[in-house]
Amino acid sequence: MVYIVSWDEFVDRSVQLFRADPESTRYVVKYRHCDGKLVLKVTDNKECLKFKTDQAQEAKKMEKLNNIFFTLMARGPDVDLSEVTGKEPMETQPAKKGRGRKQ
Amino acid sequence: MVLLQLDPFLNELTSMFEKSKDKGSVWVTLKRSSLKSKLQKRKLSSAGESIEYRCLIRATDAKKTISTSVGAKDHLRFQASYATILKAHMTALKKRERKDRKKSTEAEKKESTSTTTSKPTKKL
Repeated sequence: MVYIVSWDEFVDRSVQLFRADPESTRYVVKYRHCDGKLVLKVTDNKECLKFKTDQAQEAKKMEKLNNIFFTLMARGPDVDLSEVTGKEPMETQPAKKGRGRKQ
Repeated sequence: MVLLQLDPFLNELTSMFEKSKDKGSVWVTLKRSSLKSKLQKRKLSSAGESIEYRCLIRATDAKKTISTSVGAKDHLRFQASYATILKAHMTALKKRERKDRKKSTEAEKKESTSTTTSKPTKKL
């Protein structure tokens, strides 16, 4: 099983995986209170990405990832993620309020 | 597989977390689904209608499985409640403290170098 070390890489790759195949990609969370371990898995039945942790701060990041997936799945894979987290792994167009930004 | 409405699902999820405190795991799976069979999907797409997708959420504690499906309208509300439940229950995870990390890395260094000199610990 592929355990990814970097959180950001895990997020980017899982969103990519989902956007490539939204019908078969699923996101699984396993939590064991007795061991204090949290494991995240994203798979499209061909490729599998996993992330495990025992840190409370990673749980906070996981919540953000939950939001990302909820939005992607409920609204559609083409939804713009900037409104959720400010992260846009696929497109790099800052379409937010332009405060003195010259393009 | 029990399909529930949003709020009963959240209540059941809470009780699952509480039951699994001493031993056991809780799995939560998120998947996009339109909850329609292939035939229905084909009919809809040929008729020119858009298929409404929902987010299917399943939770299990290895004894019981519950599920619910969330649409685009409910997903924000569900997201908020779900986040609250997770925050309330994931208390067994370690809180990262710099002091602990420093101590653990110093302890590792001591073991690897096996010198008798003691390193001065910095107070943060």
